[in-house]
Amino acid sequence: MSREAYQVPSSMGGQTAFGDAGASGLDGPMVAYLCGECNARVSLKRGDQIRCKECGHRVLYKERTKRMVQFEAR
Amino acid sequence: MAPAKTDTNWSVNYDVLRRERLFKNPPKDHTAYPALADAIKPHVDSFNALFDGSKVLEAGLKDIGTKTFLDGDAETPEQRRARQAEGRRAPKRNKLHVRIKEVFLEKPAIPPTNKFTARNRNIYPSECRERHATYRGKLRARIEYRVNNGDWMESVRELGQVPIMMRTNRCHLEKATPSELVEHKEESEELGGYFIVNGNEKLIRMLIVGKRNYPMAIIRGSFVKRGHTYTKYGVQIRSVRPDQTSQTNVLHYLSDGNVTFRFSWRKNEFLVPVMMILKALAETNDREIFEGIVGSASSEGVNNTFVTDRVELLLRTYKGYNLHSRSSCRAYLGQKFKPVLYVSADMSDEDAGTEFLRRVVLPHLGNHNVSETQDYDKFKLIMFMIRKLYAVVAGDCAPDNPDAVSNQEVLLGGFLYGMILKERLEEWVKSFGPILRDWSMRNHGAKFVDPAFERDFLSKVVKRSNENIGGALEYFLSTGNLVSPTGLDLQQTSGYTVMAEKINFYRFISHFRMIHRGSFFAQLKTTTVRKLLPESWGFLCPVHTPDGSPCGLLNHLAHKCLISTSDIDVSHIPRLLVQLGVRAESSVALDESVTVQLDGRIVGYCSPKQARRIADTLRHWKVEGTHNVPRELEVGYVPNSNGGQYPGLYMFSQAARMFRPVKYLPLDKLDYVGPFEQPFMEIACLTSDLVAGVSTHIEYTPTNILSIVANMTPFSDYNQSPRNMYQCQMSKQTMGTPGTAIDYRTDNKLYRLQTGQTPIVRPPLYNAYGLDNFPNGTNAVVAIISYTGYDMDDAMIINKSSHERGFGHGTIYKTKVHSLDEKDSRRSKSRREVTKIFGFAPGGEIKAEWRNTIDEDGLPHIGARVTEGVPVAAWHNVRYDAASDSYVNVDGITNLVKYKDTEEGFIDSIRIMGAETGVEPCQSLSVKYRVPRKPVIGDKFSSRHGQKGVCSQLWPAVDMPFSESGIQPDLIINPHAFPSRMTIAQMIESMAGKAGALHGHPQDCTPFQFSEENTAADYFGHQLRKAGYNYFGNEPLYSGITGKEFAADIFIGVVHYQRLRHMVNDKFQVRTTGPVNSLTGQPVKGRAKGGGIRVGEMERDSLIAHGAAFILQDRLMNCSDTQRAWICRDCGSFLSTQVAAPGGSSKARNQGAAAAAAKAASSQLGHSVGSNGVVRCRRCAREAVFEDSRAITWEDGEGHRFVGGDNVTVVAVPGVLRYLDVELAAMGIRMKFKVEN
Repeated sequence: MSREAYQVPSSMGGQTAFGDAGASGLDGPMVAYLCGECNARVSLKRGDQIRCKECGHRVLYKERTKRMVQFEAR
Repeated sequence: MAPAKTDTNWSVNYDVLRRERLFKNPPKDHTAYPALADAIKPHVDSFNALFDGSKVLEAGLKDIGTKTFLDGDAETPEQRRARQAEGRRAPKRNKLHVRIKEVFLEKPAIPPTNKFTARNRNIYPSECRERHATYRGKLRARIEYRVNNGDWMESVRELGQVPIMMRTNRCHLEKATPSELVEHKEESEELGGYFIVNGNEKLIRMLIVGKRNYPMAIIRGSFVKRGHTYTKYGVQIRSVRPDQTSQTNVLHYLSDGNVTFRFSWRKNEFLVPVMMILKALAETNDREIFEGIVGSASSEGVNNTFVTDRVELLLRTYKGYNLHSRSSCRAYLGQKFKPVLYVSADMSDEDAGTEFLRRVVLPHLGNHNVSETQDYDKFKLIMFMIRKLYAVVAGDCAPDNPDAVSNQEVLLGGFLYGMILKERLEEWVKSFGPILRDWSMRNHGAKFVDPAFERDFLSKVVKRSNENIGGALEYFLSTGNLVSPTGLDLQQTSGYTVMAEKINFYRFISHFRMIHRGSFFAQLKTTTVRKLLPESWGFLCPVHTPDGSPCGLLNHLAHKCLISTSDIDVSHIPRLLVQLGVRAESSVALDESVTVQLDGRIVGYCSPKQARRIADTLRHWKVEGTHNVPRELEVGYVPNSNGGQYPGLYMFSQAARMFRPVKYLPLDKLDYVGPFEQPFMEIACLTSDLVAGVSTHIEYTPTNILSIVANMTPFSDYNQSPRNMYQCQMSKQTMGTPGTAIDYRTDNKLYRLQTGQTPIVRPPLYNAYGLDNFPNGTNAVVAIISYTGYDMDDAMIINKSSHERGFGHGTIYKTKVHSLDEKDSRRSKSRREVTKIFGFAPGGEIKAEWRNTIDEDGLPHIGARVTEGVPVAAWHNVRYDAASDSYVNVDGITNLVKYKDTEEGFIDSIRIMGAETGVEPCQSLSVKYRVPRKPVIGDKFSSRHGQKGVCSQLWPAVDMPFSESGIQPDLIINPHAFPSRMTIAQMIESMAGKAGALHGHPQDCTPFQFSEENTAADYFGHQLRKAGYNYFGNEPLYSGITGKEFAADIFIGVVHYQRLRHMVNDKFQVRTTGPVNSLTGQPVKGRAKGGGIRVGEMERDSLIAHGAAFILQDRLMNCSDTQRAWICRDCGSFLSTQVAAPGGSSKARNQGAAAAAAKAASSQLGHSVGSNGVVRCRRCAREAVFEDSRAITWEDGEGHRFVGGDNVTVVAVPGVLRYLDVELAAMGIRMKFKVEN
C-alpha cells in the first residue's frame, strides 16, 4: 500500500496512531517534509540540519497530516 | 509564430475570460497592467539610479574624495614657536591617502561557506519572507591607499550585507515577467519598491523637501532669534549635490542692511559675512560686486537708493576685515573652518578655504574639481540671492510659500538610502584616523613608511574599523531611525520607513503613493502646513488624506503625477537661451531685467518682455520636440507683477521633481507640467473653461487630479467631500484580497475576504490598475428602509440567508514564529551551541492529549484545530555530543509551546526554517494559523461612500421584505443615514448597480461625466425603465412578516459593500473578576491582559446625574479594590489596629466583638489573622499593669500586654484609601476617619 493513501486510525492510542515507535530509537522518528523549492520529500530526524537533500533549499514545509481531520460543523 | 503580445488596454468591461486566461497563463512578455507598475516606479527607479543610470553613488564617492592621515604628533604652538625661533624646518610627517574607488552591491546569494547548494545559489525574496530573513546582498568597496607619493595600492573590503529593494537592478526579479514571478512564488503583478527586513515588507516613504536649487525668499519670525540685529527676512536655497545630498544655504538680512551667510554643517550652525564668501569665490573688486547687485551705471538699477545704500554699507563694513584678495579671503575662511571640515592637518589655509567653498557654498554649481567658471556661477547666484533678499525686504516681491507644492520636491526612498550609504562610507574612511593613531602608539610611534605598516594596514587598521555598513542600513530600514552625524540636511530623525501592510491591495498600493510632509510638522501648532493649496492641483490628491492628526501632512500623489528620478541632459539649453537673447548684464530694476536660471545656475538676464517670449518659445519647442528641448524640462516663467513672486525664468531638469501630463493646445500634443510653472500657466480643466487667446493647455481628464484610491469612489462628484475622504480611509481598512500568493506569505496578520466580487459599478481605471486581481467587496442588494428597529443609527441588517451563502465571509491568517533561542537572537548558532531542540524528549513520557495536536516530530499537525492553551510544539533540552555527532537529552522532560490566543484557529501551514549556512538543526518554526471569521453581530461594513455601519442583526430570510420579482435585500440600511451626510453618489450607485445587474453590463462611474442637463439619475432611470423597473429605483416591497405591501415604495438597488477589518472578536472586552494590579488591588487595564474598561470621571459624573448609586457602588467599589479593613472608632485610624495574639487570656472578653472579629477575619483580605484573632487598637490601649484583670488584657505578638483599645470595627473601603493612608503616614501626615453608626 502506498504511503499516500489514507490510513484508518486505530483507536488513537497515542503513538500507535503513528506506528513506528520502535523504529525511532534514541534519535527519534524520521518525518518527511516537503522542500519549498523543488517539492522533494525530505526525511529528517531529530537534530538534523534543515536543508533539502536535493537542492539545498532552506525552507521546508510540513506535510498535511494523514490522520483524519474531523470537526464538529457548528 | 510568436504568441501575441499581452494586451495592456483595458476598458470598463468585466473581461472575465481575458482575466481568467491571464491567471491561468501568466504573461511571458510583460505585465498586462503597466499603470500599476508605473505607480511605484519612483521607488524602484530611485534605487536603480544609485548604481546604474545616473550612478548617484559614484558621485557620492567623488564628493568624499581622498582622505589624508598624518603620522606622528601634531606640534603644539609652543613647539612651533621654539622651532621657528631656532629656524628649523617643520618635521616631516608621512601622509597616508585613502579613497574609495568603487562600491559594488551584489545580488542576494547564499554565502560561499554553504557547500550544499550547487545549482542555484540565488536567494529569492519569497525565501526571505518565508524564513523571516532580510533580502540583502553583499556590499563591497574597493579602497585605494598610498603613503606619501608612493603607488596606489588597492584592496576590496566587504562591508556587510545591505538590504535590497525588490525588483530593482540588484534584485533577481528586476526584469522578471509575470510568469517568472509566479514561478518564484510572487504575485503575478508583484511591483517591488520595498525592502524585506526580517520577513517584513518595509518601504521608505516619500518625503516632501524644499525645491532644490531655487533661492526662496522667506519671512520667518524665528530668524530674529539668530542673534543681535537679525530680522525675519531671509533667502534660502537648498543646494543639491550630484549625489542627491543637499546643503542648505541661507542669507539673512540684518536690520542695519548687512547680509550674513548661514549654513549648517554637521548639525552646527555657522554664520559668515556674505561679502567674505563673495570675495573668496572670485577674484573681484568692489565695483564688480556693486554693479553685479545693482546694475551698471547706465542701468535703471542705480536709481534704487534702497539697494544702493545697502550695497554700499555691505562693502564698507567688510573693509573692517581687511581682507582684499581672493586668496586672503580663502585663507581666512580655511583657517576658521579647518577643524570642522576634517581636512588633513598639513593642508594650507587657502586650500582649506577652497575646500570649504566646494563643499558648503552652493555645491550644486560645482562639487567636484570646481572650475573657475563654476566658482563664478556661485558668485553670480549669491549676488542674485542678495538682490532677491533686498527685494523682499523692500516689499518689492512677496515671500515664497514653503508649504506650497510649487516650492517643494520629493525626497525619494532610493536617494535617501544612497545618502545614508554615502555618509556611512565617509564615516568609515574617517574612522581610520583614530585607529591609525592607536596603531602608531601601540607600535612605539611607528611611521607609515615602516615596512610593518604595509603589513598591518589592512589586517590591523582597516580590520579594526566598523565595516558593518550593511547592518547600519538594516537598522535604518527596520526602525526608520536615522543615525547620522550630519543630519543629512533633514528635519527629522525618525519615521522614515513604514511597513507595507498588505491588508488589502488599496492599502498596499497607497503606501507607495504616499507622500509625507515630515514628522516635524506634525507637532506644529499652526495648521497652515496642512492646508490644501491650489498649487497642489494635479500633483497631490485633494481627497486622499486621512482625517485626524496626520490630516494634510500625509498626502497621496494624484494618479497621473510622475516623479523624475534622473537628471535630463540640458547642456545645450544655455546656448539656446543665448541665441534667444539672454545677456549677461543685469540690473536690480525688475522691469529692466529679469533672471534666467537653469537648475539654479544663472544663465543670464533679459527684459521681462523677452522672458515671456523665451518661455513661450521653449514650451513650443519642447512639446514639438525640436531644438532638442526635452519634454520633461520645467519652464517656470514667473511674470512681473505688483509685489508678487520674484519674477524670472526658472528652468528645472533634475531628479525628484513632480510633473504631470496635460495637453498643449497649440500642437494638440502631450506636455509635462511641473508644480513650479503651473501657477503661472493657463490650464483649462474642461473644454467649457477654455478662454480664447489665454488658455494654452487643457487637462486630459479632470479625474487626473485624484489618487488611485480616490478614483475608485463611484460618482464621487455627487458626494459631500468629507465622505469621499472617509471612503479613501475606509477602503484601506477593508478586508479584501491581499494577493494570490497568500500561501507563501508570512505576514503577522493577513485578512482575506472569501467571497470577493468585481463591482458592477466601477470606473475604467479599475481595470487599468488590475484591481480585479484583488477583489475588495461584494455586490449586495440594499434596501433603504427603517424596518426592524435594529437598523437604527448606522446599524445594518444582514439577510441571514445571504450570510449563509457566504456574504462577507472572511479569514484571518496569523503567522507566529516559535523560536527556541531566548532573546530571539538572529545570530546563527554553531552546531555545538544548540541547547534546545524540537521533538519529544526520548524516553520521556508523552501524554495522549498532547498527541491530539502534536505530531511525532514535536511539531503540530497541519489542519489541527487549536484553542487557547493547546500545545502546538514540543521541545526538550539537549547537549551536543561530539563523539556521536548527535544531541543527547538527559532529563527526559518534554516542554511545550502553547497556543495563546483566545480564539480557536486551525494550523494552516508550518515552515521549518534553516539557516543560510545550511548546517543548523531546527531552532525556530513559522506556524501559520487560520482563524475563520464569518460576519457576526458587531462587525463593521461600509459602502464605497464613507457610509460605515455595524451589523446589528442577522435577520431570517423569511422575515425579510421582498419585491414583486421575488428579490430580497441582502442588506437593510436606515434612510436616516442620508439626509445629513448627503452621499447622493451611493443612491446613484444603487440605481446604476441595479440597472447593470439587470442588463448584465458594467457601469462606468467615472466622476464628472454627468451634468445638470444630462443627469445621472435620468441616465440610469432610463436603463431601469427599459428593464421593466421603476424609473426612480423605487419598488413596492412586501413585509416579510405580514405579507402586506408597504405603504411607501422602497428604494432598493445594488451597492458594492466592503467588510472592514474591525471586528468585534478583536475588540470585545468584558470582565467581572480578573487580574488586578498588585499595588492598588484595582483591575489592570488592557484588553490583551483581561483587564477592565475604566469608568472615568466623566462616566462617574453621568452615573451620579442619573442617581444610579448602586451601579456606582458596584463599578467603583465592588468590581474594583473593595476591602474590609479594621478601623478604630476612637482614634479613627486604620494603621493602629492590630491583631491580638491568639491563645492568651481572654476567655471572658466581649462576646460580640469576638464574633465580629472571627467573622471578619475569615473573610478579610488585609490582615492575615488566626481563626480566633481579636483586633484591638494599639494606639488607644494602655500597657497593662499588675492590677489589671486577665479578662480585660490582651497581648501583642511580642508578649507585651495591653488594656483597652477595643472600640474597633470593620469598614468596607477602597484598597487605595488604605494605601494612601500608609503613604501619607510615611510623610508624617495622619489621616483620621470619623466612623459613624
